[in-house]
Amino acid sequence: MIMQTLAIVRDAYRDLNAKKLFWLVLMLSGIVVGSFAAVGVNEKGLEVFVWTIESRIFNSRLFPPAVFYKLMFATLGINFWLAWIAAILALVSTAGIIPDFISSGSIELVLSRPIGRLRLFLTKCLAGLLFVTLQVGVFSLAAFLVIGIRGRAWEPGLFWAVPLTVCFFSYLFAICVLLGMVTRSTIASLLLTLLVWAGIFGLHTTESLFLLLKEHNQLKLETLAKQVDELQAEKAATPAETPTGTDAPRPAQATGAKPRGPLERRREQLEETRQNSGWIRRTHSILFLVKTALPKTTETKDLLSRKLFTAADLDRMRQDQKEPPPMNFGADDVRVDEREVQRRIERIINERSVGWVIGTSLLFELVLVGAAAFMFCRRDF
Amino acid sequence: MSHLSTFTPGSDFAIDLTHVAKTYRGKVHALRGINMQVQRGAVFGLLGPNGAGKSTLVKIMMTVIRPNRCEGRILSFPVGSKATLAHIGYLPEHHKFPDYLTAAQALDFYGALSKVPRRVRRARGAELLELVGLKDWATKKVRGFSKGMRQRLGIANALMNDPDLVVLDEPTDGVDPVGRRDIRNVLLHLKSQGKTVFLNSHLLSELEMVCDHVAILVQGIVSAQGTMDELTADSRRFEIEVAPPADGAPEHTQRLLPAALSGVARFSLTSSIEAPRPSPIPPPPSQPSGPPSSTGGMTPPVPISSALVTKGELAGGVPIFIEGGSMRIGTDDPVVIQPLIDALRARGYIIRSVRPVRASLEDLFMKAVTDPVTGLVLAPGAAPNGKHTPRGGHA
Repeated sequence: MIMQTLAIVRDAYRDLNAKKLFWLVLMLSGIVVGSFAAVGVNEKGLEVFVWTIESRIFNSRLFPPAVFYKLMFATLGINFWLAWIAAILALVSTAGIIPDFISSGSIELVLSRPIGRLRLFLTKCLAGLLFVTLQVGVFSLAAFLVIGIRGRAWEPGLFWAVPLTVCFFSYLFAICVLLGMVTRSTIASLLLTLLVWAGIFGLHTTESLFLLLKEHNQLKLETLAKQVDELQAEKAATPAETPTGTDAPRPAQATGAKPRGPLERRREQLEETRQNSGWIRRTHSILFLVKTALPKTTETKDLLSRKLFTAADLDRMRQDQKEPPPMNFGADDVRVDEREVQRRIERIINERSVGWVIGTSLLFELVLVGAAAFMFCRRDF
Repeated sequence: MSHLSTFTPGSDFAIDLTHVAKTYRGKVHALRGINMQVQRGAVFGLLGPNGAGKSTLVKIMMTVIRPNRCEGRILSFPVGSKATLAHIGYLPEHHKFPDYLTAAQALDFYGALSKVPRRVRRARGAELLELVGLKDWATKKVRGFSKGMRQRLGIANALMNDPDLVVLDEPTDGVDPVGRRDIRNVLLHLKSQGKTVFLNSHLLSELEMVCDHVAILVQGIVSAQGTMDELTADSRRFEIEVAPPADGAPEHTQRLLPAALSGVARFSLTSSIEAPRPSPIPPPPSQPSGPPSSTGGMTPPVPISSALVTKGELAGGVPIFIEGGSMRIGTDDPVVIQPLIDALRARGYIIRSVRPVRASLEDLFMKAVTDPVTGLVLAPGAAPNGKHTPRGGHA
């Protein structure tokens, strides 16, 4: 059993080794890591080779070298390079694994061996992750050494990038495997996988937008409620103009003959915001539910930041951030603390457990690979 | 896999299949109840026209295709058992080795999948590459191999696990004559080692040279099965070629021979008749191309060979046919023809040749693919409606 498994893994390595794309990506990863070594921070600003570029944002007073390098690794190295460019190149390189494997003339050579179809298929799928595992493993090791030597910060947490990136890629690969089984075509499975990935990313962006709207609305509600309370208190403190009290609408206001007072306007805004809140919440709940069933690519790679950065690091990064522009629409004059909205969103995202992020994604992956394995076991080749 | 039999050790048959049936998508009846036995140590040839179901049967044996029904055993294991596959070597038709592997790496990889220990793989890989003439190509990538070299590598691969049964699907496909001879020698080498060889091929002459058992598959059923001797028993005969005596004219030989043989054979009063050849095997069909015939678009019936022959009988009712200077005697017993030879020699006839003749594999094949009633050649391919279909028509 071990002999057969090792043979399949060794074969997968030989396949990679023969691919120019594998070495090209590895070379580009080397350039990315090399750029880490070339860039540093000092008290004045950014160090590029021997030159210093003065910067108010990037300097060792705000970002100690260890945090700076971790930030570069997480944002440029993982989020940009490995999770986008290298992932697409990895998909291009591995999309043919299943179509080639099940092609006529090849499949007979392996199915006629004393190995069960299910084990054969699952081992082949796992071996398909070798590309990304090797890439991210080498990248993380190189980054670990560069950051250790250059930034004097030996950060073993960087190696979290290996399981997280492999996990992230495995979601896409599972889609590719199923599509490869169905279409038997490398090009079709690759393009459709990229399409599904774009769909997942679109859903994630939409859900994030609705989360922002929801939290913004929530804070607006709270702000308006507070303002209404304050205005009511203010009104109660001044002599009453009508015997019916502040809550009763003024006859003149009802006919529009006299402009509304601030209290009424805020009340109307409060009511309107409450109504908006309802559909925003419902839409967000639906999006969240759909997202729960799908792989969470962005959240998975963002887990690395949770592992790498402490709360103090994050506060330090936030200090420099400008306050987001206010989300006021039309004649809306209610000012909402956008920093607070950001904080709330961050808290909500951080409260999404690793189990939810990884567990539900792996469940999705399991269903897809299970369906592909079922097809593989039942199909006549 | 349904209807699997239980393990029974010690069978004389390497392959013992019954009721093998496979229907694709509920419509195309690729196999319609195959019964087939292959003795251990035999070289068995499976023949059949394109689409007859040969590769489907082989793939069922190798667990590549799942049958609708299959009973029987291979090497005493139930059909479909993965454990059996460790003892079977298989060369698929149109196989494709990963082109990033070298010849030695390919053998190593597939050997490992067959659970051959690493040390054995190395030694055996080198030995087999030498056997198939690829010793100098061991470290070369498969992508640079010609069709014939790939086929040789495929045969080496099929032998990597030192199998008891070797299943070769079109082993000489795309191989040049030298390669074919080499492959034939490998097969004979395997036979001498007591291995069972199951060959699936279109090349009848190749099969005829190495097979001692054959089965002919037509439209999903076994049309004929047995040893070459069994299958050709009815067609065996002697053919004697004679030249007339010194004073005789060759053109009168056919007319004079009955008189010369009057002491040993009795000829009909009408000495010249238009009659088919005595062989039960019809000659090859005419080409199906050309303008539509009176058969309404079907291939015309196989033309029965007609010639001016003189028919008679030897003692014991053995038929004899005279056609020009040649005689065909419907027996394979040499004792029966001795009085005939004596009579010819006594009359001064010159015996040019005496040859025992039997039907060739091609004759058997053509007989199998010809409808005995209509004389139509059956259409290639599987039976879409589960019945025999003649070429260009429906049964």
